[in-house]
Amino acid sequence: MSIGCRELVVAAGGRVLVAVPALDVAAGETLAVLGSNGAGKSTLLRALAHLGSAAQSGTVVLDGHAATTAELRRAVAAVLQRPVLQRTSVIDNAAAGLRLRGVRRREARRRAEPWLDALGIAHLATRHARTLSGGEAQRVALARALAVRPRVLLLDEPFTGLDATTRADLLADLRAAVDRQQPAVLLVTHDRQEARSLAQRTALLVDGEVRQIGRTADVLDAPADLECAALLGFTTQLPPALTGRETTLVARPEHCSPLVGSAPPPPGSVVVDGVLRRLVPLGGAIRLDVDTATGPATAVTTTDITATPGTTIQLAIPREHLRECAPPPP
Amino acid sequence: MDVLGEGLLEALRLLLTGDEDTWAITALTLRVSLGAVLIAVLLGVPVGSLIGLRRFRGRRMLHAVANTGMGMPPVVVGLFVTVLLWRSGPLGSLGLLYTPTAMVLAQAVIATPIVIALTAAALQQVDPDFVLQMRGLGATRLRALGALFMEARLPLLAAGTAAFGAVVSEVGAAQMVGGNIAGETRVLTTAAVLATSRGQFALAIAFGLVLLLIAFAVNLVITVAQHRQTVDR
Repeated sequence: MSIGCRELVVAAGGRVLVAVPALDVAAGETLAVLGSNGAGKSTLLRALAHLGSAAQSGTVVLDGHAATTAELRRAVAAVLQRPVLQRTSVIDNAAAGLRLRGVRRREARRRAEPWLDALGIAHLATRHARTLSGGEAQRVALARALAVRPRVLLLDEPFTGLDATTRADLLADLRAAVDRQQPAVLLVTHDRQEARSLAQRTALLVDGEVRQIGRTADVLDAPADLECAALLGFTTQLPPALTGRETTLVARPEHCSPLVGSAPPPPGSVVVDGVLRRLVPLGGAIRLDVDTATGPATAVTTTDITATPGTTIQLAIPREHLRECAPPPP
Repeated sequence: MDVLGEGLLEALRLLLTGDEDTWAITALTLRVSLGAVLIAVLLGVPVGSLIGLRRFRGRRMLHAVANTGMGMPPVVVGLFVTVLLWRSGPLGSLGLLYTPTAMVLAQAVIATPIVIALTAAALQQVDPDFVLQMRGLGATRLRALGALFMEARLPLLAAGTAAFGAVVSEVGAAQMVGGNIAGETRVLTTAAVLATSRGQFALAIAFGLVLLLIAFAVNLVITVAQHRQTVDR
């Protein structure tokens, strides 16, 4: 089953929080909605499930037709950022989604059990939910949503606050589980890695609007405008005044390197002058904050730096790592 | 010490030999107080739920009133209900004054703010996203609400027992609107007051013991329920 929206507008207190003319997630597809804090990601997700408290207009479509709230309840399972579990055992929590849909206790437990297994928490089945760690609780929340075999799965930053290993494991387990069920998945996140590992397509949400949408690999590598660039980690932004080019060039700090000694810059690279403001050791790499004529720029390098703050420095960025970027729409 | 010791022995004898009057008074006490709590729950749980879950004009005011009502002196309630039911009062034609019904009414007035305030508190301590998450799993509004009440069942049970504890032990309202008529409106507290004033300490102690027993039984229920929910970390 596919889910999407048409002319969706969510507003609260006279302020438009989300305005999305059209968005579609096909059955079996995972769409990541990438945005910074406050961009309206959770609001969009809740609006798609008719779960929001703010006023919304427009339609949510399921398989191409306008969906009622009752239809959305049947089709959708949502996992919120914080795992909200019930005061009961892990297995009964995992079965809760089915119970809420009218399945009898014994049957609900039977159907939930395989999902505890799939998410690696079968050994916790009889434990009380309140004794779980954050990662375990999030696994229970995911098992609970998957157990209802939703045709649409909405995930609201379900990996936030988990340690790197737990997160990587959980991403893999979720990927496998989703592949089994083939629901339409909408993943809301601020993390590019999560989008990369789960989503075929990615949409960038800025100020409640979808600025860019496309194949995940394409979107992550080619920001449409400067705000998208910042969201995607292209935080070193070089305006025309600095480079003499027609448009602003952007790059990731790890692709900007200082020129040391009299070594020539790599052929075809763009070189900018600036004053070194500070050096931040990052354990192996060093982050350089440089003030250029038009504003700050950041480089991350592993080479030894002899320059001290206050001295002039040159940063070189190879052409293949530079992206041309338009200013954001007014 | 003698008075107390002899009183205790006599009290136990009265209870164990199944003194008819004592048991009749106990039965009326339970009937009146449980009836009052039933009314308080029927009124207080919906109102408390609204305060706990919804945002509306006057919500804070209502909450403040309920919180204040929790500490309302039973004598004051008794006074107002008496005036209401007085022969020449607004509801005097009903002829309810000095009947168990009047006592149920007065105690319900005492118990309702307690149930309102504690229900609101019970629901507010559940995760604010709880209902949202239940709906997000496919629950209808009604089922999500049911899950919420299940989640808050212990504090809700505590609200009921607190209300019961307050009314079963109060004497002012029961005395004023019931009149402590033997065999009709005499409950444990008013009987104990009367027996004490007459110097019948053994009888008064017997009534006191029964009250304690009731309080203990009620608290045992909630304590057992709490311990079944407590988990070893």
